[in-house]
Amino acid sequence: MAAAEEKLTKFTEESLVTVPFDVYRYDPAKGGEPRYQRYELRLAPHTPVLTGLLRIRDEIDPTLTLRYSCRSAICGSCAMLVNSKSRLACRTPVGPEVQAHGRIVIDPMRNQPILRDLVVDQQPFWTRYEQMEPHLILDPSKPMPADTPTRMSPAQVERFRDTPRCIACGACYSACPAVEADPGFPGPMALAKLYRFVVDPRDSATQGRLKKIQTSGLWLCLRCHLCTEACPKDVRPSERIRDLKELAVQAQGGTELGSRHAIGFLNNIEERGTLNELKLVRQTAGVGGVLGALPQGLRIWRKKPEITKAPPPIEGIDQVKKIYQALEDKKEGQE
Amino acid sequence: MRLAYYPGCVAQESGKELDMATRWVCKALAIELVSFPSFSCCGSGFIDEANEVLNVALNARNLAIAEKAGLDMLTICSTCQGMLTLANIRLADPKVKGRVDAALKPLGIEYRGTTKVKHLLQVLTEDVGLEALKAKVVRPLAGLKVGAFYGCHLLRPADEMSWESGEEPHAFEELLQAVGATPVYYRGRVMCCGFPIQFVKPETAERIAGRQIDDAKAHGADAMATPCPLCHISLDTYQNQVSKAVGHRLDVPVFHLPQVVGLALGASPEELGLARHMVSTDAAVAKIGSRALA
Ligand code: SF4
Ligand code: SF4
Ligand code: FES
Repeated sequence: MAAAEEKLTKFTEESLVTVPFDVYRYDPAKGGEPRYQRYELRLAPHTPVLTGLLRIRDEIDPTLTLRYSCRSAICGSCAMLVNSKSRLACRTPVGPEVQAHGRIVIDPMRNQPILRDLVVDQQPFWTRYEQMEPHLILDPSKPMPADTPTRMSPAQVERFRDTPRCIACGACYSACPAVEADPGFPGPMALAKLYRFVVDPRDSATQGRLKKIQTSGLWLCLRCHLCTEACPKDVRPSERIRDLKELAVQAQGGTELGSRHAIGFLNNIEERGTLNELKLVRQTAGVGGVLGALPQGLRIWRKKPEITKAPPPIEGIDQVKKIYQALEDKKEGQE
Repeated sequence: MRLAYYPGCVAQESGKELDMATRWVCKALAIELVSFPSFSCCGSGFIDEANEVLNVALNARNLAIAEKAGLDMLTICSTCQGMLTLANIRLADPKVKGRVDAALKPLGIEYRGTTKVKHLLQVLTEDVGLEALKAKVVRPLAGLKVGAFYGCHLLRPADEMSWESGEEPHAFEELLQAVGATPVYYRGRVMCCGFPIQFVKPETAERIAGRQIDDAKAHGADAMATPCPLCHISLDTYQNQVSKAVGHRLDVPVFHLPQVVGLALGASPEELGLARHMVSTDAAVAKIGSRALA
């Protein structure tokens, strides 16, 4: 018994690593500039970042302020930047971070006002979520029977993909460059949530939801997939946003600049199999847009004169056209 | 090495200098590029937004052309790389595969799913190898600080692209080091260039591009380099507008990946089409000029 205990202790001692934490500190009540404070701990490599931070708070510095609750990737409270990546602190082990960076820099999430240390004001995130009307909108003429559950087929359930797993941690919101650059963008989580209701067979407002979102940010998603990289629950918001775009295009055609551009591009390629750059500008922006872009166009043309010439069609363009015929379901509003 | 060369639309049109530089570098490294005039556009992410299955089918046709020739594909665009890889992945879904096969079969096209798609950055770092590349360098880019700019679709979703970290990659920086340049690490290197929404909301797209260029500059970059011609459009072609959007003059030259390699392997600026850039690369080239070849 004693031998086994000794072995265990020895193993633990040897496997500990020194973890230098550089933690963002800022208390607006006290004024002054934000700063980074260095704390060093000896931890096993598999220790979650959150455990490290709580040890700092409990043993070294009780003023460190952070949000957490479940410590097991359920409550969604502990999202923050770990070496610049938006992560749940309770789900990110210290070992690989120290190995890659030599230290662990901890910052509050991006894209939200900082209240104190690692705590941000999540109101903008929640407001955008509420704007999605994240609840079933039922057709009043077809009320759901009170005492019987509504059945869904496996295929219907499959359409939700992984969106019901979202724990609203905000990591994706923090990682999103469209949120950072444009206040009109709802953010990845809100859009993934919208998707969840759009594909819900019980919801009666699908078309209205799609129409509304087309003019309120859907087409500002950059499909950069940074949200999908950040998400601890594999909700894959970027892919569901793509699905929303296709649903909107298929049902409503080219009603917005974004959908018009996607359809314009699709039609552009059908002609020659390769992109006709100039025509694309005309298709999306219209004559006014082309005129507006003229000075810039001339500037570019001087260096790249071929932009005014349409490229020749590819070999086998007929095959491309036949693939379009087989798979394209033309809708009103498309060219 | 023989590869089916997939230049993509932009490198055949407004980004021709990328095609020129790729051909020069591949010749210097004895990579044989086999051209197929029958390749169609990868869809650039836009067709995918309008019709997923059509996008997969068009790319399955491209992949089948290379498969029939028994060749793997070489891309020189992050978005082409992403779209072709994605087609391979989505075809694993029997529902998608069924519809795609039904559209291709009447045309006598069959894709068995064996074509590997590799971006030039992967071929240079993994297949040619950094040591072999180093051995060919005749004009090390010493003193030139370069900020790599990856382009989203080359990296993400990382579980699907499956070759580099989606947020903390190193391949490009290691390549820059191998050709004698000093890589600059900055957050913007894995961020978005703004291109996908350039048509939808130019001012937002340009603010996004400007943020990344500013970031590279703030970290000391003399120049940026990108493996994606669409990023090049945002960062170079539109840089004057981007400057306006961020309210100050940026003036950062942006190289295509093979141009950086070509310079180190001894190509002239003319051979690499550097005069076609909107932001002059002269000052950056002059930095390595003292080591220029006779
Ligand atoms: S894919 Fe869209 S929602 Fe996700 S981080 Fe990028 S811009 Fe934001
Ligand atoms: S989608 Fe993922 S990252 Fe975004 S809030 Fe939900 S669980 Fe968090
Ligand atoms: S503490 Fe609950 S998710 Fe991390």
